[in-house]
Amino acid sequence: MEVKAKIKRILKLLAISAKMDLVWLLRDTKYALTGIASDMISNLSTVSAVYLIALRFNGIGGLNTDEILFMMSYSTITTGLFIMFGSGNNIHISRIIGRGQLEHLFMQPLSLKMQLFTNGFCPFTGGGNFLVGCIMLIISVRRLSLSITLGWLLSLIIYILATMTIIVARSYLVSTAAFYAPVAAEEISMTAIDGTWLLSTFPLSGMPAFLQVSLLTILPEGLMAWFPSLCLLGKTPLHFSKYYPLAFALILSLITSYIFRKGMNYYVKKGSNRYVPYGFRR
Amino acid sequence: MLKKDQIDMYPTDFAVKLSKVTKTFTQWQRDNTGQSLIRNLIKPEKRTIVALNDVSFHIRKGEFVAYAGPNGAGKSTTMKLLSGMLLPNSGDISVLSMSPQKQRTTLMQRLGILFGNRTELWWDHPVIQSFEWKKVVWDIPDQIYRQNLDMVTDLLDIGPLLKTFARELSLGQRMRADLAMMLLHSPELILLDEPTLGLDVVAKRQMIDFLKKINQENGVTIVVTSHDMDDLEEMAERILMISDGKIAFDGSFQELRNITGNLTRVVVAMEDSLVPQVKMGKLLSSDKGVYEYDIDLAQLPIKALLGQLSQVEGVRDIEIKKAPIEQVIAGLYRDWTGI
Repeated sequence: MEVKAKIKRILKLLAISAKMDLVWLLRDTKYALTGIASDMISNLSTVSAVYLIALRFNGIGGLNTDEILFMMSYSTITTGLFIMFGSGNNIHISRIIGRGQLEHLFMQPLSLKMQLFTNGFCPFTGGGNFLVGCIMLIISVRRLSLSITLGWLLSLIIYILATMTIIVARSYLVSTAAFYAPVAAEEISMTAIDGTWLLSTFPLSGMPAFLQVSLLTILPEGLMAWFPSLCLLGKTPLHFSKYYPLAFALILSLITSYIFRKGMNYYVKKGSNRYVPYGFRR
Repeated sequence: MLKKDQIDMYPTDFAVKLSKVTKTFTQWQRDNTGQSLIRNLIKPEKRTIVALNDVSFHIRKGEFVAYAGPNGAGKSTTMKLLSGMLLPNSGDISVLSMSPQKQRTTLMQRLGILFGNRTELWWDHPVIQSFEWKKVVWDIPDQIYRQNLDMVTDLLDIGPLLKTFARELSLGQRMRADLAMMLLHSPELILLDEPTLGLDVVAKRQMIDFLKKINQENGVTIVVTSHDMDDLEEMAERILMISDGKIAFDGSFQELRNITGNLTRVVVAMEDSLVPQVKMGKLLSSDKGVYEYDIDLAQLPIKALLGQLSQVEGVRDIEIKKAPIEQVIAGLYRDWTGI
């Protein structure tokens, strides 16, 4: 019963965020549509560059053009989800911490987890990339003649969730620095996530093994699209287990949870000597 | 420490209870010399600031308490401790019989907080949209929401503002809208940190009248901080004065006056080259024909003061205001030390 009530509460919170997003879209439709279009164009440019190279050379590193398209669709879907759930700096949490805005969250009668999960949901202004990603996925799946089973769809969802967990965990991990150095680390999440985003859309097949391993462990860009896509295509690379992304997501989120909690404890003990109002509520 | 009456045990009907609370912060120190820069790389110089030093007090339910002190005295720190935004170094805090740290989410359903220099309104949405957002996040039942919305719309006169975007409101309007939003969930205790900061006379009056009304009629406990004695005396019955992290006074405004005198500042603006030749107290400053005096109304009643001023030739303007908190606290210290 309690779980049911909690789910209902989460849905209500997502619904009010969605409603506010729609209202915002309808108020400034012209600007909102421009924003959505530029988001989509920017993302499509990134993935189409890779796709065009694949077309020119008839594939990249052992992956044919349709497999590249599949990987691009995976990347676009995760980017889309990132934008759709992270409009309120809730994923770029270093901004909230660095600007001393966590106190606004403390005022709400909700756990921080629930607030951060629900308050950046913007399906209308932020759903464009996700939609394009889904369309690309359908096209690539048809071109690859993949047999879609319930198990495969579940695997797709689980891999996407694992990738999202890694993105969020990595953002929160580096954002912990903002507890200790609010000014210097205010934009650290942006640097950590967006700065490496371009790399995550490149197929790593054909690269030296040590680079591939590095990009799956130290800097997990390979887990953003390349590795999970190959797993879904039944071509798990490097003799890694197909469960590797899940294990990585779990371990990274546990480490992040521990370190972020330490940062939070530091924050409530020391406070923040900085408060800037911009970027908190749009 | 001066106290109205020493409390041996806490009553059960308290809204706020602080017991021996200490809160310190560290500040980085550095000068501009090269030597200091290098020394700080190895061993940074830090200074400990004691925001609250073994502070204890309690506030009963239904009280309207002014929490006063000069800038940097620890007022905002206390507010943040009461709302669970900060943890104390030592001591116990209880708010509405709950621990702000351990029961934050439950407490926030019954507590209202407003920082004068911040807004909870959604910037790019009409005010009513922020209210609706609050209804969902606080899970306010429809009937209560509707009742409270009607009440705040009427009392704070925000009807015309409801459809206006928050970013287009003036400071006074924004404060009224923020105050209204804070009250939508029927908080039992309200913490207001400098709510009158930057407000004009009319907006201030509206806010003060409203706060007094909800305190008297709805029994809402209110703790308000300010460094403006005029505002505080207008609003509250009891004043807690904090200075250097310690409670310097806890009692009524009348009791405070009995100790420090009725300290008042009189500013007299004169016509060119004229000087007010009256015995009004201590001249604090004079600049471009504006003379500021320090007066104790306990010794020179307002009637006598106005009588003197009416005899002065060339008076352009007169302003009478309460002495700043720093001076009141200095008076308290003088009383303790007998100087």
